[in-house]
Amino acid sequence: MKLLTHNMLTSHVKGVTKGYPLLIKATEVKVNEVEFNPKFVCRMIPKLEWSTLVQAADQLGHREELPGELVPDYEKNEDFLKKVHRVLLEVEVIEGCLQCPESGREFPISKGIPNMLLNEDEA
Amino acid sequence: FEDGARKAHAQLNGKKLQSGENSVTFYLSYVDSVKHREEALVGFPEGLTLVEDFVSLEEEALLLAAVDWTMSNEAQKALKHRRVKHYGFEFRYDNNNVDKDKPLPAGLPDECLPVLQRCLQDGLINVLPDQLTVNQYESGQGIPPHVDTHSAFEDTILSISLGAKAVMEFRHPEGRAVPVVLPERSLLVMKGESRYLWTHGITPRKFDLVPACEPDVGSNSGLTLSKRGTRTSFTFRKIRYEPCCCAFPSACDSQEGTSPYPPSPPSLPCCHADATLLEEEYVHRVYDAIASHFSRTRHTPWPHVCHFLSSLPPGSVLVDVGCGNGKYLGVNPQLITVGCDRSSALVQICAERGFQVFVSDALSVPLRTASCDACISIAVIHHFSTLERRLAAVRELVRLLKPGGQALIYVWAYEQEYNKQKSKYLKDHVKQHNGEKSKDTPEESQESHEEPSVFTTSHVERDVKDASEMTEGRLSVHTNRTAFNSQDLLVPWHLKGRKTHGEEESSGRFSSRGEPNPDFDSSMSSDTTHSPDSKPSPSDNMCQIPGGSSVPVFHRYYHVFQQGELEQLCTQVTGIKVQTSYHDQGNWCVVLQKE
Repeated sequence: MKLLTHNMLTSHVKGVTKGYPLLIKATEVKVNEVEFNPKFVCRMIPKLEWSTLVQAADQLGHREELPGELVPDYEKNEDFLKKVHRVLLEVEVIEGCLQCPESGREFPISKGIPNMLLNEDEA
Repeated sequence: FEDGARKAHAQLNGKKLQSGENSVTFYLSYVDSVKHREEALVGFPEGLTLVEDFVSLEEEALLLAAVDWTMSNEAQKALKHRRVKHYGFEFRYDNNNVDKDKPLPAGLPDECLPVLQRCLQDGLINVLPDQLTVNQYESGQGIPPHVDTHSAFEDTILSISLGAKAVMEFRHPEGRAVPVVLPERSLLVMKGESRYLWTHGITPRKFDLVPACEPDVGSNSGLTLSKRGTRTSFTFRKIRYEPCCCAFPSACDSQEGTSPYPPSPPSLPCCHADATLLEEEYVHRVYDAIASHFSRTRHTPWPHVCHFLSSLPPGSVLVDVGCGNGKYLGVNPQLITVGCDRSSALVQICAERGFQVFVSDALSVPLRTASCDACISIAVIHHFSTLERRLAAVRELVRLLKPGGQALIYVWAYEQEYNKQKSKYLKDHVKQHNGEKSKDTPEESQESHEEPSVFTTSHVERDVKDASEMTEGRLSVHTNRTAFNSQDLLVPWHLKGRKTHGEEESSGRFSSRGEPNPDFDSSMSSDTTHSPDSKPSPSDNMCQIPGGSSVPVFHRYYHVFQQGELEQLCTQVTGIKVQTSYHDQGNWCVVLQKE
């Protein structure tokens, strides 16, 4: 699971109103090399919850120099874009779990795949 | 004596003789003395009667001529299975039962009447039969041991043998086996224990062992080989309308002595809990089991779906709900794409391909409301077994969309023929009948590759089952590559493992790998048979194919949509507009936009 995906995921346990963002508890993290496409990264940024990304990167110990807030004029800031690229697309949680911040329910991540299936009583 | 025997052994053992096209090798054994043992006399099973010369030569010719085989299944013939034709009522091999409320247009042939009248007069039956199954066995063909389904037919079953003799084997559940020679033009009457408890079958062989002369009670009768000819049997039965109340409950499906084989199909669910159970058994469990084979047959993205994806602005957030093997996840690399599916096995395949995916149910997708620019749901919603759930699935897609966002939905169409064009799924069926080898299995052509037709109201063929006709609510098992005759059904999937030796995927249900293996179990007919060692689960059966191996058959639940039904479903969701609606090679498709 990449942090781009994590940015979109939310807890959907019945009754939960504050299920976003999910807490990441990782036991295995991988960093891959992914081709850098500055245009693509630029387009992604407006679709993101920035604070969630920073928090998640922090939880994984991969925040590095990612700023707490969006840098103005980031479109031309290749340095910044590269940092975003790395955190969004190169860092990957292979094993671990995602935890609902409200209910505490844990969703396992195995082989990079989060299993978000709910039980009958949670749906 | 001894000397002569030794000489005969020395001279004849291993000698070959020509017998027609076959060569026969003599194998002799020589023993010094034979232990004597009194054999218990083995008589016929209780209730079994054989009447020789029941039918005259002229009647035999008339009856044989009365059967029109021209409409028979060419695929069956090509695979050297026995030929079968039904009159009165269709006998179904998927559940070994009869569709009692669907009589065939033609009743029993008139030519049968004299023979049946004779049976009445002779007191062999009290009521005229209303179902006839004609089986034609060539040398080497047979039928596996079975008991005629109790709940389908009344007690007495009549069988006339024409054209050649054969040996039928009766087997008692305790193991006793009784071979019965059925001479040409004889009548076999099965009643009572022989009909309800003993199985009967014909071993697929080219030669039978038969008595050489009149069997002499108490002495060793001579045996000889009888070469099989083409035998045609006429089996007459009376349809049973009330549950069977025979004295053999252990073999009775009315009295639930045996688990009916195959297990009777489920009914349409009436509540959420039932629906979940049905979908678990007939959708989720199946996809997890067939995932890799399924993925191999889903390789070509459909052009119109690709067009939808390619027309989305770069950087759009797209979710593919029910992404399967990830076929569409990489079509437009400029999108921010995430996929989800209910099947872990399929999601695993996506992950291996490098896509971002997670496991979830389409009714509850763990993404925030209004977080997606677009959604696609291709061949997913037709797996939901109630209207409410299908509606909920559409609502969930809409929830995910940002205002102005679009969703593309594809579902399998009831109408496989549209604008007088058969879908690829159906076309291959026609090809098979014409003896052409179809490139795709029914599983593969459940996909399609052709251009969609624009939606028009006038040309669609319709043969819809009225809601009122569905009173029983039982799901029928669909025959692959034929038109749908009901909206809710179970569609078979024949699981294939990895191809070996570059063998071609052939048409229909069986791989045509040459001559059937002489081993009895593997050269069974095209009927689905039970693998005796495994406990069947409701959705899967084993299907024997020539060549010796078994192909597991899974059944997936589908609700196929009628024209306009998907649109209708969408209009029940507030805050959206249906933008386009079309038929794409056997699917109904809709693009909707959130306001």
